[in-house]
Amino acid sequence: MATATESIDITATQAQPDSKTRRYDRQLRLWAASGQSALENARLLVISGSATSTSTLKNLVLPGVGHFTILDPEVVSARDAGNNFFLEGQSSIGKSRAEEAVRLLAELNDGVEGKADTSSLEHILDTNPAYFSSYTLVIAHNLEPKLLERLSTLLWTDDTLPTLVVVNSAGFLGEFYIQFHEHTIIESHSETAPSLRIDKPFPALSDYATTLHFAGMDPTDHTHVPYVVILVRALAEWKAAHDDKPPQTTAEKKLFKQGVQDMKIKFDEENFDEAEAQAYRCWTETRVPSDISALFQDPQLSALGPTSPPFFHLLEALRQFTLEPPHTLPLSSTLPDMKANTTSYIHLQTLYKTRAEEEKAMFKNFLTVPLDDALIDSFVKNAHGLKILRGKKYGALNADPAALAAAVASSPKAAATHLALSALAAVSSPKPSVEELTAAAQALLPPGTELPDEFSDSVGEIARSPSADLPNTAAFLGGLVAQEVIKMITKQYVPIDSYCVVDLVETWTGIV
Amino acid sequence: MAETTDWQDRYYDIDQVLNTPGPRTDPAFLAGDGVKDFLRNQAKILVIGAGGLGCEILANLALTGFKDIHVIDMDTIDISNLNRQFLFRQKDVGQPKATVAAEFIMKRVPGVKVTPYFGKIQDKDDDYYLQFNLVICGLDSVEARRWMSATLVNLVDPENPESLKPLIDGGTEGFRGQARVILPTITSCYECSLDMLNKPVAFPICTIANTPRLPEHCIEWASVLEWPKVHGDKKLDTDDPEHIGWLYTVAAARAKEFNIEGVTWALTQGVVKHIIPAIASTNAIIAASCCNEAFKIATSSAAYLNNYFMLIGTEGIYSYTFEHEKREDCPVCGGEAVELSFPADHTVDQLIELLIEKQDIQIKKPSLSTPTVQIYLQGPPQLEEATRPNLGKKLKELVPEGGEITVTSTSLPFSLSLRISYT
Repeated sequence: MATATESIDITATQAQPDSKTRRYDRQLRLWAASGQSALENARLLVISGSATSTSTLKNLVLPGVGHFTILDPEVVSARDAGNNFFLEGQSSIGKSRAEEAVRLLAELNDGVEGKADTSSLEHILDTNPAYFSSYTLVIAHNLEPKLLERLSTLLWTDDTLPTLVVVNSAGFLGEFYIQFHEHTIIESHSETAPSLRIDKPFPALSDYATTLHFAGMDPTDHTHVPYVVILVRALAEWKAAHDDKPPQTTAEKKLFKQGVQDMKIKFDEENFDEAEAQAYRCWTETRVPSDISALFQDPQLSALGPTSPPFFHLLEALRQFTLEPPHTLPLSSTLPDMKANTTSYIHLQTLYKTRAEEEKAMFKNFLTVPLDDALIDSFVKNAHGLKILRGKKYGALNADPAALAAAVASSPKAAATHLALSALAAVSSPKPSVEELTAAAQALLPPGTELPDEFSDSVGEIARSPSADLPNTAAFLGGLVAQEVIKMITKQYVPIDSYCVVDLVETWTGIV
Repeated sequence: MAETTDWQDRYYDIDQVLNTPGPRTDPAFLAGDGVKDFLRNQAKILVIGAGGLGCEILANLALTGFKDIHVIDMDTIDISNLNRQFLFRQKDVGQPKATVAAEFIMKRVPGVKVTPYFGKIQDKDDDYYLQFNLVICGLDSVEARRWMSATLVNLVDPENPESLKPLIDGGTEGFRGQARVILPTITSCYECSLDMLNKPVAFPICTIANTPRLPEHCIEWASVLEWPKVHGDKKLDTDDPEHIGWLYTVAAARAKEFNIEGVTWALTQGVVKHIIPAIASTNAIIAASCCNEAFKIATSSAAYLNNYFMLIGTEGIYSYTFEHEKREDCPVCGGEAVELSFPADHTVDQLIELLIEKQDIQIKKPSLSTPTVQIYLQGPPQLEEATRPNLGKKLKELVPEGGEITVTSTSLPFSLSLRISYT
């Protein structure tokens, strides 16, 4: 061993990652090179250079989004210069807010392209609606309701147009909504582990476990048989003696566990303890998880054609795969760590890897279009965590009094805050009274529906500070919005598909 | 100073919540000039950490009107900080974080004074901490947080209300984070919630030495066993790329020998440096929450967090706001001894192992004594040597049933009382 170490070339520092990888190290551990590349190819349009807008952008420029444009015809006011970190105090006053903010945001990352556009949104909507199509995603903060309606309607007309994120805030309260048609996720980073299929062992695993000579084994090896092998063996023997059925009653399960303990040749064999603890896997049938089989009902599958997105071709292949025995998802090649020695663990890992490759090949046979191998690999590996989200147009909730009433009933606190912010958008006066706001909120609900008790707390905050873009609220919302934007762009993790509401008096977030 | 830097309408947004109370504002709130004067001319606030959270915290505090801010950080800037620590640029790599952050804030936000200290929190005494109205922690170290929380609890003098310094603590990991408000001696302190921490992953030495299965096992072998064997007393510096390169090469060779896949440079660095993924957006959320609590506490303009906000952003946005309860047997703020049942045939050594590992205790290098017996002391060397023979003895030989053991550690400014019952 010592000689092996000495012979190693210690100039291996060439293997050190390049400076870009080092800069992004802490985020690459979350979304890997694939997520980073998606981020670097994204183009963002942010409407207004408000404190909330620049706080959001900061969190997207730092991780390296490809391009951002700030669209804002305003000049920096005295109040802007006081509450926005991406303006330079008094010296920015009177200058273009978009240009100042872009200059100071672009400083954060040389790899990001920033652009200031001092045109007015209204003018663009009037004269050049194609303006938006070059962007991946549009973020709008406290946009005037009529323009917001025009923008959201325009971006909703076609699913190739950018996703729209609408952010509204006043004082300690805020909310945001993501308008998208369809969002499919392969890498959801699900925390549920894929099945090891102990109850339905594949032939090579079954052969290995059932032919292993426990009796004649070296005692050290006996202590290192992985629990997966122990359970497959114990279950096979149990089924042989019980009409091919796994343990079913509580008494049988207890008996089975006792049987596992009785396989020990020494009392301190931890691998058998681990097997006992994992014994439930023997009577929990591995099936297609219900949230995945629900995806097989998706309308995109019945209308599948050559132009359908690759995700749905893969999903259809998965559906067909699961129609064949053993009616499970393709086997995952990842084996968790367990008590075992190197040889037995690596042998078991090889069995899983080999089988996973075989099943991936079977899966591929169901594909009717040519797809990139890396994509297929990723799909199969993450099959247990696939997601399809379908969104609604911005404003759909407020246009549906019954849905709003249902939200009030199910989550009154969050709904109260949403109603108060919606009321603020609905009234025209810059400093509305509680009474005006209450009437506007009441008008959104079906006749006779009462506002939730919590509404007085929310509306009081709105009346107190109707136009305050507080730096802390801006930073909080900016963080949340950026996080969701990253999830949308990378197609990793799971974004929200409804309003996220924030109350920074009691410090909570909610979903409406 | 306020006259020259506070231009008209500078605080137009913030003044909306300082001029008028809201429905959930304490009736004692005095809207108007008094509260603004306190915030802008009198309040003195301490920020611990000028890293991922610290940069955000400093910017938010400065914008909300705190003008006398102090910041402590013992680190220098590394290239891997630049994806989120937005007060630093490539040219600042190698410079002290506290100093660079302070200069940046003062340049960007006129009239704000930020006083940096490049060093450890343990360098400062009680008088230093007594000068602040509030403390905000943005740290990645459990040990430093325990020290800060315990120090502020010890600082409380019931005769002097000014000695109670609210502590606001934030922490993040990937898309997750938490922010909390601690009123020392009144609400649950950091030590009270020690059992909420994730258990650190530890690989048994026998696995590393004899039965490696994962790439991590090979990396641990290289750093824990091979490094000292080959390099003797030379200390492993996990910030030195040559050292990481050596570990990577050695770990990769071992992995190859055992047919284990997956040893990479990034994994090697991650394992030996215990790297936690970190992004700007999560830090922004948690830092904003911390600063918002500081603002509300300093101004009474709105109710503040009672007392724990937890965020999970991996699947949708899930958050949970709750009151974390004080532990009566908290060694820092509880006062009652921790009851510990211990096998009658186990040794002092085994007790020490338990104290290091037990989730709600986690004391590294504990020293143990009773009013009459020095059971085991980690230092000074003479006392360590004198008490070392006790390690192999059964605890029962030294401490009677129901006896109390005082546990101390140089890394923590408090002692823990254990009441032992034998099983």
